[in-house]
Amino acid sequence: MKRWLLAGLFLALSALAQGALKVGVVVSATGPAASLGIPERNTMLLIQEILERTGGVAGRKVQFVILDDASDTTQAVRNTRRLVEEGVVAIIGTTTTPASLGMIPVVTEARVPTISLAASKDIIHPVDAQRFWVFKTPQTEELMARAIAADMVARGVKTVGYIGFNDAYGEGWARFFEAEARAKGLQVVVSERYARTDTSVTGQVLRILARRPDAVLIGASGTPAVLPQRTLRERGYGGLIYQTHGVANPDFLRVGGKDVEGTLLPAGPILVAEQLPAGFPSKRVALDYIQRYEAKHGIGSYSTFGAHAWDAWLILRPALERALRRADPDRDLAAFRAALRDEIEATRGLVATHGVFTFSREDHLGLRFEDSAVMVQVEDGRWKLVRTFR
Amino acid sequence: MDATILGLLLLDALQNGVIYGLMAVGLVLVFAVTRVILVPIGELLMFAPLSLVWLHSGKLPGTLALALALGLLWALLARGRGGLWPLLGGLGLFLLFLLALKAPLLAYPASVLLVVYLGVATYRVFFQPMREATVLAYLIMAVGLHVAYQGLGLVFFGPEQYRPAPLLSGEVVVGLSWQGVLVLLFAGAAVLGLYLFFRLSLYGKALLAAAQNRLGARLSGIRPEEAGMVAFAIASLLAGISGLLLAPLINAAYFMGFMLGLKGFVAAILGGLVSYPVALLGALLVGLFESLTSFYASAYKEALVFLLLVPALFLQSLRARAVEE
Amino acid sequence: MRYLWFALLLLPLLLAPFPFYLTLLNFFALSALVALSLYVLTGLGGMTSFAQAAFMGMGAYATALLTVKGGFSPWLGLLLGLALSFLLALVLGGLTVRLKGHFLPLSTIAWQVALYILAGNLVGLTGGHTGLTDLPPLLLLGLPLDNTFRYAFLGLFLLVLSVLALQNLRESRLGRALLALRGDALAAASFGVDPAGLRLKAFLLAGVMAGLAGFLYAHFLRFVNPTPFSLEASIKYLVMAVAGGVGAIPGVLLGAALFTGLEDWLKDLLPLLLGRQGNYETIAYGLVLAAILILAPRGLWPLLARYLPQKEGRLPQEAPLPLKPPSGARGEVVLEAQGLRKAFGGLLAVSGVSFTLRRGEILALIGPNGAGKTTVFNLITGAILPDGGRVFLFGREITGLPPYRIHPLGLGRTFQHPHLFPELSVLENVALGTYARTRAGFPQVLLGLHRKEEGRALALAYQALKRVGLESLALEKAERLPAGQQRLLEIARVLASGAEVLLLDEPGAGLRAGEKRELAHLLRSLSREGYTILIVDHDMDLIMGLADRVVVMNYGEKIAEGTPMEVQRNPLVRAAYLGEVA
Repeated sequence: MKRWLLAGLFLALSALAQGALKVGVVVSATGPAASLGIPERNTMLLIQEILERTGGVAGRKVQFVILDDASDTTQAVRNTRRLVEEGVVAIIGTTTTPASLGMIPVVTEARVPTISLAASKDIIHPVDAQRFWVFKTPQTEELMARAIAADMVARGVKTVGYIGFNDAYGEGWARFFEAEARAKGLQVVVSERYARTDTSVTGQVLRILARRPDAVLIGASGTPAVLPQRTLRERGYGGLIYQTHGVANPDFLRVGGKDVEGTLLPAGPILVAEQLPAGFPSKRVALDYIQRYEAKHGIGSYSTFGAHAWDAWLILRPALERALRRADPDRDLAAFRAALRDEIEATRGLVATHGVFTFSREDHLGLRFEDSAVMVQVEDGRWKLVRTFR
Repeated sequence: MDATILGLLLLDALQNGVIYGLMAVGLVLVFAVTRVILVPIGELLMFAPLSLVWLHSGKLPGTLALALALGLLWALLARGRGGLWPLLGGLGLFLLFLLALKAPLLAYPASVLLVVYLGVATYRVFFQPMREATVLAYLIMAVGLHVAYQGLGLVFFGPEQYRPAPLLSGEVVVGLSWQGVLVLLFAGAAVLGLYLFFRLSLYGKALLAAAQNRLGARLSGIRPEEAGMVAFAIASLLAGISGLLLAPLINAAYFMGFMLGLKGFVAAILGGLVSYPVALLGALLVGLFESLTSFYASAYKEALVFLLLVPALFLQSLRARAVEE
Repeated sequence: MRYLWFALLLLPLLLAPFPFYLTLLNFFALSALVALSLYVLTGLGGMTSFAQAAFMGMGAYATALLTVKGGFSPWLGLLLGLALSFLLALVLGGLTVRLKGHFLPLSTIAWQVALYILAGNLVGLTGGHTGLTDLPPLLLLGLPLDNTFRYAFLGLFLLVLSVLALQNLRESRLGRALLALRGDALAAASFGVDPAGLRLKAFLLAGVMAGLAGFLYAHFLRFVNPTPFSLEASIKYLVMAVAGGVGAIPGVLLGAALFTGLEDWLKDLLPLLLGRQGNYETIAYGLVLAAILILAPRGLWPLLARYLPQKEGRLPQEAPLPLKPPSGARGEVVLEAQGLRKAFGGLLAVSGVSFTLRRGEILALIGPNGAGKTTVFNLITGAILPDGGRVFLFGREITGLPPYRIHPLGLGRTFQHPHLFPELSVLENVALGTYARTRAGFPQVLLGLHRKEEGRALALAYQALKRVGLESLALEKAERLPAGQQRLLEIARVLASGAEVLLLDEPGAGLRAGEKRELAHLLRSLSREGYTILIVDHDMDLIMGLADRVVVMNYGEKIAEGTPMEVQRNPLVRAAYLGEVA
């Protein structure tokens, strides 16, 4: 309460009109990553509405400038430059790894703190001069791969086959999973690729079958991830099938139908929020987000990807409040952005939907494996929690 | 690689190949009659099953609005009685769609007719006004339409895939589902039908004639515009039915048509864009090549399929004259 | 005047307070370079490439690999990038420039898709779809070009240099040859233009320009991945060029500027207009392209250019290239055809035709329709290959050589329908004839070192125009001339080439009586100077009054030869024409 009074006084006293705090948002609302970007955008719009109802941050209005990069790096870079020009205090985005990587030099040159919504570890590691300004909320492929490998070992899997997209997502997964597998003593015996637009993967699947792995990991996302799984089942594959967290959306279940029963996948805890055990840190925050999102978009509409955007705001908001006490964006935007960056990095133990965030100078991901990954299985067309790592 | 695997790969190749073949035949036909390289054929292929899915879930698809809008433009461009056909057709289509919302079985013919109407309207509105343009100008226009239609596909149907229920479920033999058999049967029937049409019917022969020599065809009483519309109608019909039959096997999404069309187009090029039998053979070859490369080198499968064009073009270039007539 | 383009370099200064617009300016410069490459390829050469983005990719990846993985200087990366683009264009072009018009664009589509997929899959080499990051900035004399302001100067500077180089190209023998090739390959070939060779060179130039753009792109974004080098990107550049007007340099620049600016504007505007979120620009592009192709097929620039002051043409001032009148003894055999034979399918068009042509004479080749005269013509000039027989020019065998090899030996031809190039001026049309006599290649032309030779070539063309009496029309557009003068223009063109054996295909066709008299007068005076003329025509009065000797053909065979008088009295000839039994 006192904070609001002080802010109101400051408002009254200051001769300059205080502008709204502008936060830039770049997401892939169209293009191949649209199924991830659309919930992210919806979440930001939801937050905007909430902010308008509750009066903003520290008495200042907050305005999100939301731009779509169409899953294209060049667009993302252009959007970033534009946001910088518009004087945003921070940027949230973008959805895909290549585009996020492309944004890094721009935000570094402009010295704007950025929270990415993309998967790859390369975005925030190592924290050098370039990544000084970049943080991210989604679990890395490395983290999720560790979950899969751990689950495989627990189930007695020895050999694994891999089939993934021949793009950044599938490649990243191939790389990180193979590293995790090796660390846990699993052997990847075959590694195939397919295109998102493919209509048949018979050849690849036959090759996998020939090697008879105990488990197959499909490195894909969205509905195109169904095709290899269906083909594997049709060709009589009897082993375990794992998918990545990229399929954690209702469309996958819809298109997959019976063919995806029994799929195992790692996921952020929010996917099965109601099923989490009572002591799980993210449970309450996750349920809160789900309830708000479903109130606007319908039951069952929430997605784990939208939750990454929610987490970004959960981190950004208190950092903004702290930074506003140290600097004034209207007076010196550059100094404010630097202060904001420091405050983001100072985040400790922040409970969010996907885990608990604790950043540091060396760690701009901030998630611990135990709190931010669970194993889920598809049962009766629904997500069922089967293992936590706490 | 043992016999079973080879057999499965061959079946896969056959199934893919016939679809590419149907695309190729449609492309060659349209090119022969109108000199247009129908790049948007992939979008037409996808619009059918996607519209079907929409109808089955009780909604009118955006493609209907597109078709009616083009039909209206067509009617405006045509003079006098010529404007009657598109208007009547559009009205009939609209009514059919309304009925199909109640009777699911009607959705199948409705979707196909939608695509045919759309195809013919596309020709009438965009290509016919470009009289005597170069092949190149037509190609650029076709590419522009492909981009526009694909964008509209995203707007109408969203980014995800859909899976209509197959007409026939279950497998005949390992590797070939009944639905797959249906696809093969359709392909065979289509090729036979076209063959008979071109060889035996007067109109079919006239259509081929119009392809060879527009002026001569005109002098013999065949209107090039009409020939163009028929060619587009046949290609759209092939595309629409192929799309409906194929969708349960592959999961339809707004972007999938382009790749299918592109591979059909590789097959058509193998036939020099003039020969139907070679295009069909080429399509089977593309399917086979694709199947084998997906087994041996899956990451490069697509690249290799396109590089297949290199020897084909090289052979063509050896036969070309140094100076054009 | 042409250096006014350097005013573009003021733009970064104007836009300095708006970093976002500086970014757009950089993207404009890059897109404009690619659009200029399409000006060369499509606007001048009439070919289309859907693979320009792939060439960009070559340039970008070359420098990315060298600088990121090898630690070398970016300028080395530039060299490698240009070299690789050149090689790629050589391979692609070499395979396809000889095919009929539309095969080139189709094969470029295939290559573009294949290269994009390879770039995405060769993960160890290219970083796959994740791409290569942290490219170093360019260092120019110690100054790092690491912000948009400085980079804009580099981009625009290179753009202006390219514009000037291409203007040089347009106003040169190569520019004329390319335009001629686009309209009419056979006519161009008859003046010494090697169609496949020239097309390939244009393709190489376009590929290298796009490679340069790719290099600049890589060091601007300092990040390279396959997406900007995809088929969609190639299509975007093509749309820019075609929409702006691919036939003119300002046109492609206009297209590039429009689309670079529009892209962002459309992204904001369309969702507002349509009331819902989404990516509608692709639809807009497609529809805009469609609209332009139907309503303004030559692009937007020609619509604007009408309101701009037209550039005044100048008459050439330099001393003309020397034009020696034919030397050598009159009556010496210059052209000899022996036993020519050609069949088209089952039809024997020419069978066993032989004759000789002697210096200084006018020989007429006549016969009823379908006799095979034009076929003989085409056999001699190399337009078609004979099935049998031989042809000798000045004692050298030229059987089976293509027209562009025969022409430089001293043989020139005109066409039944004047094959003029309507968008070029009369003077430029005639100047095409000097192609075989001039030497400047692409490097000299682009650097502007060809001016002297060009001036002299134009002066020679002017002399030729004077010879036929058309010099007052030198700066007019060729399409404005009536038929008779077009015919004279063709003859002037052949004269400018220095050919001394002139083959005229139906020169009297379409001329009125007075024009025919003028023509006959000109031909007679040429023959007196020592030119040798072979005419094919139907007009008996013209022929009989003009020719020294006549060869008569019927049904593919030579049926008579002799002076006009002899031939007129020949019963076989009368039978052929009148159907009488003599």
